[in-house]
Amino acid sequence: MGGGQWPVVLIITPLIGAALTPILARRRPQIAGYWALFVFSIVTLAAGVLMYRVSTQGPFSYYMGGWRPPLGIELRFDEFSASIGVICLIGWLSLMFSLAYAKHALPERRIPYYFALVLLCLGGMNGFAVTGDIFNLFVFLEILSLSGYALVAITGERIAELAAFKYLVMGAISSLSILLAVGFMYALTGTLNMTDLAMRLRDVEPFPVAVAVGALTLGFSVKAALLPLHIWLPDAHSIAPSPVSAILSGLVVKIGVLGMLRMYQILYKAQIFDLSALNTTLMWLGAISIVLGALFAMVQEDIKMMLAYSTISNIGYIFMGLGLASKYGIIGASVHIFNHALIKATLFLGAGALIHQTGYRNLEDLRGVGKAMPITSAAIAIGAISIVGIPPTAGFLCKWYIALGAIEAGRLFFAVTLLFGALFIFVYYIRMLNAFYFMPPAHPEILDVGEAPVTMLIPIVVLAMLCLLMGIFGRIPLSFIEPAVTNMLAPIGG
Amino acid sequence: MLLPIFGAGLVVPLSRVSERARAIGLTLVVALAAGLVALLIPGVLRGEIYGVRLFQMTPTISLSMRVDALGAMFAITAVVLWLLAVVYSFGYMADEHSTNRYFTFLMLALAWTLGVALAGNLLSFLVFYELFSILTYPLVVHEETPEAMAAGTKYITYIIIGGGLVLLAIMATYSMAGAQEFGSTAFFNADLSRTALLAVFWCFIVGFGVKAALIPLHGWVPDAHPAAPAPFSAVLSGIMVAAGSFGILRVLFNVFGIPLLKELGVAVPLSAIAAVTVIVAAILAIPQDNLKRRLAFSTISQMGYVIFGASLLSVSSMTGSFVHIANHAFMKGTLFFCAGVFIKRAGVHKVSEMAGIAKRHPITMAVFTLTSLSMIGTPPLSGFTSKWYLGLGVLDAGKPLYLVVLLGGALLAAVYLLPIIYAAYFKEPSPVVRDLLAKGSTAEAPWTMLGPLLAGTALTVVLGICASASGLPLSLAKLAAETLP
Repeated sequence: MGGGQWPVVLIITPLIGAALTPILARRRPQIAGYWALFVFSIVTLAAGVLMYRVSTQGPFSYYMGGWRPPLGIELRFDEFSASIGVICLIGWLSLMFSLAYAKHALPERRIPYYFALVLLCLGGMNGFAVTGDIFNLFVFLEILSLSGYALVAITGERIAELAAFKYLVMGAISSLSILLAVGFMYALTGTLNMTDLAMRLRDVEPFPVAVAVGALTLGFSVKAALLPLHIWLPDAHSIAPSPVSAILSGLVVKIGVLGMLRMYQILYKAQIFDLSALNTTLMWLGAISIVLGALFAMVQEDIKMMLAYSTISNIGYIFMGLGLASKYGIIGASVHIFNHALIKATLFLGAGALIHQTGYRNLEDLRGVGKAMPITSAAIAIGAISIVGIPPTAGFLCKWYIALGAIEAGRLFFAVTLLFGALFIFVYYIRMLNAFYFMPPAHPEILDVGEAPVTMLIPIVVLAMLCLLMGIFGRIPLSFIEPAVTNMLAPIGG
Repeated sequence: MLLPIFGAGLVVPLSRVSERARAIGLTLVVALAAGLVALLIPGVLRGEIYGVRLFQMTPTISLSMRVDALGAMFAITAVVLWLLAVVYSFGYMADEHSTNRYFTFLMLALAWTLGVALAGNLLSFLVFYELFSILTYPLVVHEETPEAMAAGTKYITYIIIGGGLVLLAIMATYSMAGAQEFGSTAFFNADLSRTALLAVFWCFIVGFGVKAALIPLHGWVPDAHPAAPAPFSAVLSGIMVAAGSFGILRVLFNVFGIPLLKELGVAVPLSAIAAVTVIVAAILAIPQDNLKRRLAFSTISQMGYVIFGASLLSVSSMTGSFVHIANHAFMKGTLFFCAGVFIKRAGVHKVSEMAGIAKRHPITMAVFTLTSLSMIGTPPLSGFTSKWYLGLGVLDAGKPLYLVVLLGGALLAAVYLLPIIYAAYFKEPSPVVRDLLAKGSTAEAPWTMLGPLLAGTALTVVLGICASASGLPLSLAKLAAETLP
């Protein structure tokens, strides 16, 4: 098995890299960014190799130290793990963006810690995506969540600490509930390995499993900021430094969804009870998230606040797709995990560049910025069009699949909600674009502001291009997702 | 076929070098596109159908293009009107702000329009249709005045709702009939559930009806037209609204097909809606004082004719309906160009201020008169040709009562257009015009504005007198009407 160790590289490298960052950069904090970028380049390379392998040979496993499960730790790389592709891509670009951004936004002595935390967070996500056992799932979840809390607070502003604290409390509740579920599962089946778990769950009492599933759903929904559990998100995402917002909004939130997908993977295989009640709940919460998230976003003045509410709305799409439990619905939800990550990263990094250059973050103050920073504004416009789902951009594919899934499941109402949710979403993005392009500037000096430095501009442009290309070449993510979903829905043994 | 589409989008950034280079470059590109589309026509008339599969978006979704008679007719109309509008814009927009943005989006809009005209399946249609609806927003709000912004918001809201319904209908079509290319057979067959088919049908009609300005859904049209720059109003009226009608035509004939439409019995209510549109919009046009607003209502009324003719389902009414898309585009385009001259050169926006203006703008007013007569349906101008076929179709369909709608529409057109002409020639000059005349400055517009104006009129005349010449829209419309499933 040549290259079997690559999954380990994914996890270990960023963790070790993170630990070394503060030491290496003790004398010269500026070096930290380049070091982090270098470390993460290796990780990205490994991810590339793995993605290629899974697309040619299908899923495979790696056993730590050669110990087979149920005793050993299994790293399993399947199509869902291919989400590391997005994690690495956005992680890498955000790190690159941070090079210039951190210098400006953070006190110098905190810069090494900033990069160490980002690496830690990304490493945790990679681990989450490839692990094959639910206890490790929890461990990685904690790594990435804890670094997330710290990153929200890192600017050191008063309100940042408050936001981070709110995030921490909600996050702790979610972690506890997930840990509880993991404990339940272990007590019931005596295994932590996911594949084993699916097999053994068939023979146990359904009620405790239902409790565990409930706890898992609760935990992951908090992480994913599904509507009634979203209260931590807007503050945390808008206060954090922009590249961190991109990571939090594009990736960390999706970890909750990915967790749900993993849970469903087990449950569909185990087939112990009817999931329709859970599905219906998710579907409705998803629909409510879409509409309310969009409504909240509409009244925001702060551009990052608006983007944060927009994330809630989009998470609604994903949960609705999952809850529909039809093939197209789940495909749509999974595609949206990828595409929304790209789109939201574009928007947050773009917003970061605007804030970095102009010093303003309210829409009213940012009027006329389209003339001053044409490239960034154009990228944001592409992101906005994409998130609304105008064909042929990336967002369209998701909408198409989820709505098709709704029709397939015979729930026309949800298809309608979905399509008209897009109307609300469009209203607030059009407000943003109007301010950028068609209104006289509130501060005339804004017209003299130039484009952001190249290291910030490149990630934005690359992501914006991807927003377009992923729509036109939608078969690339689909080539991973389609087999994964088919596998997931097919019960064991045919 | 694809080159002009992408070429069009690329030229603007390149020609930022100088105003002149941009003018010449853009004209050349559009002319080239026009030439290429024109090249396709002889083949289409021979009954050939060109198709290109662009690429697979996903395993189930692909984009493809296809040239058939109806599409070719719409494409050539669009590209020629665009050529006029672009040339006109150089004159009209000379002292406006953000001209680069304006031209970029104008060219992009042409690309998407051609995409709509030549789309090979429903999804490609949708892709281009949405792009073109959304990306024209910057053109609608170009003036950046509060009215323009309000009109833009209204426009985008209507369009998104319409687009949502169309998307829903298209998805339903996919799940019911699978992915299919437009072709010689309709998508649906009669085995499918009647309720579902009806639901999909009305979803489509309402969705496209927003764009085509069928009467309860027309709200955005009278606001968007006066707010936009005149050359764009011309295109908006001549082509964009027509794109909605074109969508309805595709749905009627390519998705459902005549036999199924007859069986479902949906054509009768549709024709009733269209008839109401023709009459009510014309009545609403009469009291409008803003010239462009009056013309906008006229557009709504004329688009009613298109849907009306199509929904009668007889060959000659369909021919009349198809050819009216082309004829109306040039007529209405020219009228808006005239309105643009009055706005730009005389500062006159309102009908009531136009009294006596013929003394100052003899050429423009002559053109306006001629085109108005065509709009009313005076032979031998092009407006007459379409009405003639529509009338024949009404008789073929055995519903002579509907002739009242046709004639009523024409009569009302006379009521809302002729007073303008009367006032312009024979009334005492209004205060605004008197001041202008007193100043005695040379009045007529530069050649970049007058040229397209005259060309548009020439087309109106030619399409009327030589209507049956091969290669003109009528021949394509006839072919389309005969070959559609």
